[in-house]
Amino acid sequence: MPQNEHIEQHQRRHGHKPDHWEVQRKKEARVHKNRSKMAQKLFGLKAKLYNKKRYTEKVQMKKTMKMHEQKNTEEKNDDAIPGGAVPVYLLDREGMSRAKILSNTIKQKRKEKAGKWAVPVPKVKALTEDQMFTIVRSGKRKKKVWKRMINKVSFVGENFTRKPPKYERFIRPMALRFKKAHVTHPELKATFQLPIIGVKKNPQSHMYTTLGVITKGSVIEVNVSDLGLVTPTGKVVWGKYAQVTNNPELDGCINAVLLV
Amino acid sequence: MVVYNFKKIRVVPPGKDFVDIILSKTQRKTPTVVHPQYNIHRIRKFYMRKVKFTQTTIHERMSAILEDFPRLEDIHPFYSDLLNVLYDKDHYKLALGQLNTARNLVDALGRDYVRLLKYGDSLFRCKQLKRAALGRMATILKGNSSSLLYLEQVRQHLSRLPNIDPSTRTIILTGFPNVGKSSFMNKVTRAEVDVQPYPFTTKSLFVGHTDYKCLKWQVIDSPGILDHPLEDRNTIEMQSITALAHLRSCVLFLVDVSEHCGYSIKQQVDLFHNIKPLFSGKPILLVLTKIDLVRFEELTQEKKDLLQSVADEVHDMMGLSNITQEGVANVKQAACDKLLEHRVEIKMNKTGKSVEGILSRIHLAQPEKRDHRQRATFIPQSVTDRRNDVMDQAEDGAPSAPKRKTVKEIEDENGGAGVYQHDMKKDYLLKNPDWKYDVIPEIFDGRNIADFIDPEIEKLLDELEKEEEVRLEEPEVNYADDEIYIEEEDEDVYEKIMSKKSIYKQKQQLNRRANNHTILPRKNRPVDLDAIQKELMDRGVDKETLDRVRSRSMTRDASVTTGRGRSLSTTGRSKSTSFERARSVSQQRVVEEREANPVSAKSVLGKRKRSLSTRNRSQSATDKLSGLVDAKQQVAAIKLGHKKQRLLALAAKRGEADRKIPNEMPKHLFSGKRSIGKTDRR
Ligand SMILES: Nc1nc2c(ncn2[C@@H]2O[C@H](COP(=O)(O)OP(=O)(O)OP(=O)(O)O)[C@@H](O)[C@H]2O)c(=O)[nH]1
Ligand SMILES: [Mg+2]
Repeated sequence: MPQNEHIEQHQRRHGHKPDHWEVQRKKEARVHKNRSKMAQKLFGLKAKLYNKKRYTEKVQMKKTMKMHEQKNTEEKNDDAIPGGAVPVYLLDREGMSRAKILSNTIKQKRKEKAGKWAVPVPKVKALTEDQMFTIVRSGKRKKKVWKRMINKVSFVGENFTRKPPKYERFIRPMALRFKKAHVTHPELKATFQLPIIGVKKNPQSHMYTTLGVITKGSVIEVNVSDLGLVTPTGKVVWGKYAQVTNNPELDGCINAVLLV
Repeated sequence: MVVYNFKKIRVVPPGKDFVDIILSKTQRKTPTVVHPQYNIHRIRKFYMRKVKFTQTTIHERMSAILEDFPRLEDIHPFYSDLLNVLYDKDHYKLALGQLNTARNLVDALGRDYVRLLKYGDSLFRCKQLKRAALGRMATILKGNSSSLLYLEQVRQHLSRLPNIDPSTRTIILTGFPNVGKSSFMNKVTRAEVDVQPYPFTTKSLFVGHTDYKCLKWQVIDSPGILDHPLEDRNTIEMQSITALAHLRSCVLFLVDVSEHCGYSIKQQVDLFHNIKPLFSGKPILLVLTKIDLVRFEELTQEKKDLLQSVADEVHDMMGLSNITQEGVANVKQAACDKLLEHRVEIKMNKTGKSVEGILSRIHLAQPEKRDHRQRATFIPQSVTDRRNDVMDQAEDGAPSAPKRKTVKEIEDENGGAGVYQHDMKKDYLLKNPDWKYDVIPEIFDGRNIADFIDPEIEKLLDELEKEEEVRLEEPEVNYADDEIYIEEEDEDVYEKIMSKKSIYKQKQQLNRRANNHTILPRKNRPVDLDAIQKELMDRGVDKETLDRVRSRSMTRDASVTTGRGRSLSTTGRSKSTSFERARSVSQQRVVEEREANPVSAKSVLGKRKRSLSTRNRSQSATDKLSGLVDAKQQVAAIKLGHKKQRLLALAAKRGEADRKIPNEMPKHLFSGKRSIGKTDRR
């Protein structure tokens, strides 16, 4: 009965087959052939996956190779620029880099300025009514058509009570009610799952805002008390706005970016 | 008896493979075709099924993993402690716990997305939701890849653990490293444990089995332990400690008296005192090893005292040498006896009741005495002599008498296998010892003599010879009564018959070989009138009779066809025979008849047609290629023919199990008006 590291033990005792290393070497040398054979044969989804994998592998390989190369090449060192008196023909060398810095700062400033009024999703596609609602027929003969069921994800406050179903005009199905959103803090580059407090604005229509419908581009208010953000006056921030960046009805979750 | 089978645990795929397995299974096992114009319910169902299926598959796989791995609380404390030592209990539990939460998460996810899918209003939306669901499940799986990897490693290690049964008779070897535990193990069991002249050769528990008193004994070789506090012990030492702590066994504490292991006797004795709590309630044996190097008597007095103090505690001290084999068997016996005694004692002491329980299970059957004759056991004289010799030597204490050399020993002396070859013929048991080296040919006179070997051959030969003699004495007898006896004058006739027969036979065989196809029934076979005539004449029918018969059959035929009234008056039987005959007559005759009487010939023709057609077919083989110019064209023609035949042949192979539409256009479905919903039922 073999036990414990029996394979290693056997190898230690009896070694390998005489041609083991040769075979191993050849196998290794043939790897690329087998690989290309497979790559040629694959098709469909398998091929897609395989190619993607190979691609990432190759990129990784190139990167590591480059890194090794970089080790060998000499890099320009800013400190190495001789101080004191510098001959004329060397003068404009540092001037270049300074100009670069300048232009970068200007660009940065412009960006910041523009960012002040922009939101992550500036434009949204208009949704028609029939994308928004499905018509629910009611009445004994199902001939009344004034009921609507909301097709999109919605937020319903905690203390909401339904109207009697008979008179309920807008139905927000339980399955499409969401309470939490995944909110990314753009500066921290971190995502948190935060409870939703309310829908501030739905760009599609005012009615959707009041109904609490959440579509792409909606601005929602989220509870950020867990993040421990503090206002300049020293108060803990409780609610903050965030804009929805995905189509919640397609993804089954709400992703939003905090508006800071 | 609980036997732990850790080998049964199924493979745990690493995270990425896990995802691939799950997704490809979903792809394989769920329908793959859906179109946007389908009814929305159908589309939703299609995607819901995918999500649900993926979720259940993940659930099943995860459950299988969770079930397979042993729960530390449920297994024997020895094993649970060993697993703790080897894999760290916390890590193990954490990994399994994480899988459990992952499973629950996936379940919740599946549920949520199925709920969302219920409100999907387009194929696109359903598809996106499915994609999101599967993606999130895959993410959860990938998040657990470190646990999966860990569990896979644990599984591989677990499956190679020695199969230690905690409840059987067990002997544990312990002591400092390098004292000769593994060497002793190799001596008493068939386990091949590595033996090397450096410490910590053995890094884990090894188990071997040995027999004593017709019982099976489990011997456990443990890694050596050093003398330091428990907290400092490493994983290797902890395994030994676990075994010592949890297995009810006989402990052999091995002490290297030669101190070749690198530890002094004082250190070794100290170790014994330190780990003494582990031995409580167990039979112990102090074993001095390597006594071929240093004997107990040769030690200094203080060392002797040290060892003696230990020996006093355990009541037993024995010496052994793995090199000269001295004392190995004794130690084994002593250990086994001690353990057996201990186990019986425990059983007796457990409860007073159980003694009777055991005793009542034992029943010694004694045959009733038949008479007063003594029937002592029979021991051959040679055996008794030999036994006495051995006893004498044992008393003398002299090294055992020269044993009989085994063939293997002789071989080793003479250069080992491949160099020395043992003489097999020397030990042949033959009637005459001179025959031993006789060469027996395998093939004699072109025959394998092994085929002719028969132990009875001599007797049979004798009988045969006797019979022959008897025959020779008897006068010549006439065999005509029981065999065909041919007179001189019939000789050539006989010859003729035989030759003809053989010709027939050969013809038949040739035919059979040539026509490897279905045989035509005789009545359908084309008939050659001339051949029949010739054959009949060959057989001895003279021409006159033949002609007469022919003409008669002709007239009869004519009578049938021409005079209806008359033929009706004849018996039905004659009529039918005439028809039969008519059929056997050649084709030419039909033509003649037709010319003679076209109306009447028709009636015969009806039956004749078949024979004609068969004839054509048989001829066609030669006729087929007659119109073609050269061999090339012929080949082409044949090929074309085969090609045309292929489809037909395929159709002919249609079997019972093949799909069959008995009626491709059922009348009731293709007639009448079609109103709504009347496509398959009208
Ligand atoms: N002369 C002599 N040498 C022995 C005897 N028994 C073992 N040895 C030698 O002692 C060395 C160690 O033997 P092992 O059986 O590996 O010792 P161990 O106790 O299993 O050692 P660990 O597995 O490291 O704990 C080897 O070189 C053996 O050849 C003996 O009876 N006499
Ligand atoms: Mg060992």
